[in-house]
Order: sequence, then C-alpha cells, then structure tokens
Amino acid sequence: MNDSRLETFLAGIYVDPGARAKFLANPRGEATRAGLTAQQVEDVIKIDRDGLELLADSLERKRHGRK
Amino acid sequence: MRDRFGLGWRAKLALGILSNLDRIDIVEVIADDYFRAPHRERRALRTLGAQTPVTLHGVSLGMASSVLVETKRLDEMARLCDEVSPVSWSEHLAFVRGGGIEIGHLAAPPRSAATVDGAIANLRRARKIVGVAPQVENVATLIDPPGSDRDEATWVSEIILHSDSDLLLDLHNLHANSINFNFDPVDYITRIPPERIGAIHLAGGKWIGRPDARRLLDDHLHDVPDPVYQLLEKVGACATRPLTVILERDGNFPPIEWLLEQLDRARRAVARGRTRRSAVAA
Repeated sequence: MNDSRLETFLAGIYVDPGARAKFLANPRGEATRAGLTAQQVEDVIKIDRDGLELLADSLERKRHGRK
Repeated sequence: MRDRFGLGWRAKLALGILSNLDRIDIVEVIADDYFRAPHRERRALRTLGAQTPVTLHGVSLGMASSVLVETKRLDEMARLCDEVSPVSWSEHLAFVRGGGIEIGHLAAPPRSAATVDGAIANLRRARKIVGVAPQVENVATLIDPPGSDRDEATWVSEIILHSDSDLLLDLHNLHANSINFNFDPVDYITRIPPERIGAIHLAGGKWIGRPDARRLLDDHLHDVPDPVYQLLEKVGACATRPLTVILERDGNFPPIEWLLEQLDRARRAVARGRTRRSAVAA
C-alpha cells in the first residue's frame, strides 16, 4: 500500500507543476501529508532537484510531442 | 548463431524499410499504436508481418510497479499478438501511472523489493494472458528514483531471474544512465545473466541541463554514439543466445541509407564480439 503511495507521489511531482512546487517549497511536509512512511519521507526529501526539473521538463515535452 | 538486425517501424521510415527488406532482418512495431487502430491499419500490420519478422514493443503497460497492470491492457496486447503473430513482444521496466495520474511516458520506479515483486507478478500475469512472456527493457532516467535501495544491475537481474522474461538490453539507456549516475556500464553487463539477454536496442541522445548539472537524454533523435557500439561488442562477446538488435529512431530522420549503415556497423560490432567469444571458447 505504501509502495503504491510512493509511486503516486512521484507521479504527481513528475507531471503536476503545482504539486512539484509545493513539494520543493516544503519537501518533508508534503511527503508526510501524502502518507509516505518515515523512510520514504527521508528518501524523497533527498531528491535530486536538478534531475527532477529536467525529468519534469522532458516528460512535459514528450506529452506534447515536442522534442 | 543467427543474430538479427532491424529497425523500429515509423511511418516516415516505412518506404525506406519496405524498399530495403533484404538488409533488414526484423522490424519492431510499437504495439500501443495499434491497440485501437482502425481495421485497415491492423490489416496493414498483418501484411507487414507476412513480409518480414515483426516484434511488438509496448510502452504503456507499466510493468515495473507495485500496482498490478489492468487486465484490459494486457487483453489488448494479447489480441494484437494473436493477430500479428510476432516473433516476440516486449515492455519496459517502468511505471507510467500512479494513483490515477498518467505520467505520459516511461518513468524509472524506485528500485526496491516492492517493485521487484510487483514486476514479477505483472510479468507472470502478462505471460498468462498473452500466452508468451514479454522481454523486458531497462529504461533511461534523468533522476535516480527516490526510494531505491539497490543498484540497477541488481534490480534488473532480480526481476529476470525470478520471471520468465528475458532482457531487452537498451544500450543507449544503459550508456546514458551510466554517465548520469556514474557507474561502469561494462560492469553492469557482466552482472546480467548472459543467457537471459535476448534483444538489444540502439539509439542516440543529447546533453541537456546546465553545464554544472547536465544529463544525457535518450531522445532517439540522434545517431548511435561510439560508446554504444563498444558496449554492443561486449554484449556480443558474452551473450550466449542469438540476439535481436533494433535501431530506434523517432524523428530528425536521416536518409534510410544512413540508418542502414548504422545497422551494418551494429552487425560488425556483434560479429567482433562473437569472434572474441569463439576465440575464448576454443
């Protein structure tokens, strides 16, 4: 159950600019609010922010057929 | 050992592919493009399958997830496989949705026991419903997935060793990940059970991001870079079974002859690897 919550949380911050902005402004608070386990919270707050922004941009471009 | 070399089927390459079937052993078709395609398009795919071996490649099942793939999605793949009779089919070790959110592309899941178990369960269901186990492809990622507790070679090996699915080893994905996350791609290859490598993808990419935080993006829009051919030779030297090698190109299309030359270069790389393997065995 908590593993699917982590995937849902990641999907959200990957594709939803609003969710991503909230997370980056308050990583621990947003991860906790999403119901992640304590370990998952510790994992996601250490996320590579540069990689996250590049991934989000890449996914946005692919969804809209841009290269 | 009869290795096969082919191209990904794209509409803008169709004429070039059909005009050069004497130089192409197999064609890889994106299965999802045909799940809800009109009858005439599915008939055209069957006609293609009658002219050349076809392998079907899925992009939206989301096999590497702690959540089960919906039966209706596997049913669509099963129907297409029944119609086309491909020599094989494949999917990615990726998650593509979560909690109703469609990511719209392939995302690397957390490399954990949960996604190993989830992938194994999904691959077993896929084999049961489709009738044949899919090959599974390693994916490129721009971010080291949060929640990962093992490296990629370990994670991939666990999945293929506990399922009936062989590996479709995408060498540009491996190349890109090895650069972005600083690991040795040759070490990765040597840690994969060599008898479970069944197919290879080749592609190209480009650099993105700030100079101090750049990443190599696998975009399928550029030529296959030299290091990928070197990895291909390595795989040719260690893989124990015939390989199906597919060159993927999704846009920025060069003349077909340019792609066929890359395919010929791939043949030579595998042949060199096979020769090395034979020399060691002798």
